[in-house]
Amino acid sequence: MSTSGTTLRPSRQALLGGRHFVLVLLSLLMLFPLVLVVSTALKTGDDVRSNPFGLFSSISADNLVTAWTVGSFGDYVLNSFLLSVPSTVLVVVLSTLGGYAFARLPFPGRSIAFYLVVLGLLVPFFTYMIPLYFQLRGMGLLNTLVGANLVLASTGLSFGTFFIRAFFTDLPTEIEEAARIDGASEWQIFRSVMLPLVSSGAGALAVFTFLQNWNNFLVPLLYLPGGQYRPLTTGLYLFLGGRSVDIGPLAAGTLITILPVMVLFIALQRQVTQGFLSGAVKG
Amino acid sequence: MNRTVVDTSPAATPAAPSPSTTPKPPRRSRQIRSTTPSVTRKAQTRLGLVLVAPLMAMVVVFLIFPLGNALYYAFVDFNGINPQPPFVGLDNFVELFKDPSVWAALKNNVIWIVLGTIAPLVIGLGLALLVWGVPRGSLFYRIAFFFPYILPQVAVGVVWGWIYDPTRGWLNRGLELVGLGSLGTGWLGNPDTALYAVLGTAVWATAGFVFVILLSALRNVDTELVDASLLDGAGPMSRLRYVILPQIMPVFLMVTTITLVGGFSVFDIVFIMTGGGPAGATEVLGTYAYGNAFQLNRISYGTALALVLTLLAVPFAVWLNRLQRRLSLQGMGA
Repeated sequence: MSTSGTTLRPSRQALLGGRHFVLVLLSLLMLFPLVLVVSTALKTGDDVRSNPFGLFSSISADNLVTAWTVGSFGDYVLNSFLLSVPSTVLVVVLSTLGGYAFARLPFPGRSIAFYLVVLGLLVPFFTYMIPLYFQLRGMGLLNTLVGANLVLASTGLSFGTFFIRAFFTDLPTEIEEAARIDGASEWQIFRSVMLPLVSSGAGALAVFTFLQNWNNFLVPLLYLPGGQYRPLTTGLYLFLGGRSVDIGPLAAGTLITILPVMVLFIALQRQVTQGFLSGAVKG
Repeated sequence: MNRTVVDTSPAATPAAPSPSTTPKPPRRSRQIRSTTPSVTRKAQTRLGLVLVAPLMAMVVVFLIFPLGNALYYAFVDFNGINPQPPFVGLDNFVELFKDPSVWAALKNNVIWIVLGTIAPLVIGLGLALLVWGVPRGSLFYRIAFFFPYILPQVAVGVVWGWIYDPTRGWLNRGLELVGLGSLGTGWLGNPDTALYAVLGTAVWATAGFVFVILLSALRNVDTELVDASLLDGAGPMSRLRYVILPQIMPVFLMVTTITLVGGFSVFDIVFIMTGGGPAGATEVLGTYAYGNAFQLNRISYGTALALVLTLLAVPFAVWLNRLQRRLSLQGMGA
C-alpha cells in the first residue's frame, strides 16, 4: 500500500517488483481455499483418512467417481444445467425485447411498466419468497423444473432489462432513421439493425445470469423440496449435512460444483466482470 | 443510471459505434413526436406493446403479485393451510417488536452490516491501490481476487468449514505454528466466535467484488493530480485521503451501499455454515424469518419479518444513493 503512483520512473522499478511480490502472495492467500478443494478432491482414500485437511500427497480419481455415482452428483450436474440454461435464455430474450421497447419505442403505460420492472431491483427476493411458495403451490408449479426456471428468470429480469436498455439507449438515432428511410418495418429495424449492435451486451448478460442461476441456493431449496430436480448447490448442501460423509467425496462434489463456474469465469472473465460492474451501478 | 461512472473497460461499449464521440441525441420521446409520422408511431407503439408484454407478464406474476401477497400475509395469521386466514392487523409487527430473538438477530445483523461493510471496503481498496498502475499481470490479479466472489456460497461454506475445523483445521494449525495455539477453538461451534467466523468467510468472498469495482474507478482518476501531489511532497496517506479518494467517492459510496444493504438480507452463507447456531449465536433476521415460515409454519410472522427487514434497508439505500448522485453531479466521478 505504500506506493500508489501510476507513472514509472527508473527508481520505482524496484518498488514495483516488491509490489508484485506482495500481490502474488495475496493472490495465493485468496486462492488457497480453492487449492484445498482441488487437492482434497484428488487425494486417495488413505491420504484423506490420515491427513483430511492437508494438501495431497498422491493423486486419484476415486473421490470424483464416488461423488459422481454414490453422491449422485452426476444427476445434480444435469439438474443444474436444466435449471440454469432455460432460465438464462428466458432472461436474455425477455430483457432484450423489453429493454428495446423501454429504450426506443413509445407505448401507453411505458413509465408505469418501467417502474414495476425497477421495483425488482429495489426489493430483495427475500421480501416475497414466502408468499411465492404458496403461489407456486397453488399454480401446481412447486417441485417442477418449469416453476423453478420461471422463478429464477424472474429474479434476473429487472436487472437484465435495465442492463440491456442502457445499451439500446446509447445507440445513435441516425441508424434507425436510415433504415426507416430504406423502407424497413419497425420489427426489421429491431431485428436486423438494432439487435446485432447490442449482442456484446446480451452476451455479458447471459454469462452473468448463468452464473447467478447456477449458484442460486435459495430458489431450489424452497421451490424444489421434493429432491428429484435437485441441482448442485442444494445437493452439495445435503451432502454437507450428512456429517458422516467422507471429506474426500465432499471435496470432489465441491469441485464438480465449482468447475463450470471456474471454466466460464476464466474463459469469459471480462464479460463476467462487466456484468457485475454494471449490475453494481444499477441503483 | 449513471453507468458511465464505472464504465472504463473497453467491453463496456458495444463494438460498432462509440457513444462518447457522437453527441448525445436529444431525449427519445421528444424525438419520436417531432420527426416521425403518425403511421410510424403507431407501428412503434404496437411493436413496443408486443415486445414488452412477455416481460411484464413475468414481472406481474412473479414479482408484483407475490409482493402484494406479502403485504396481505403480514396482516393476517396464515399457517400455510387455512385458506381464509383471520385478519390480525398489526399483531405480527407488535409481536416482532417484543420478540427477544428478533432483537438478538437484529444485533447480529448490525454487527454483520458494520464489520461486513468496513472490512471488504478496506481490503478491496487496499488491493485495488496495489494493482492500480501495475503494468503487467493485472489480469491475473483481477481473476485471483474476484474469483471467490463468483463461487457458489455452498462451496465456500464447505471449504471454510475445513479451515475452521477444531482439531485439524488450517486456522488452528496455523495458530499453533506461530505459537498462538492456545487461541485455537472450534470456530463455528463456539458461540463467541461463530458469527465472526462466518463473517470472515463472507469478507473473503466479497472483498474481490469491492476490489474490481474500485479498480475500475481508479482507472478514471486523474494521474496528473496524483503526480502533482507527489511533487508537492504529499505522503501516501494524505495522497489517498485528499487526492485519490475524493475522485472515486461516488463509486466508493455505491459499493458501500451494496455491501451495506446486502448485510440486511444476509442468508445463504449463515444458513449453510451454521444454520443460525450454535444456540442462536449466528441467527440473523433472514435465517429467523426462514425458520419461522418454513420450519414452524408461522408463515405470516416470517413474512412480516421479511418486510421489516426490507423497510430497514430502504432508508440506507436511499440516503447513500442520494449522496452518491450529488457527488456524481458535482463531477467528482469523472
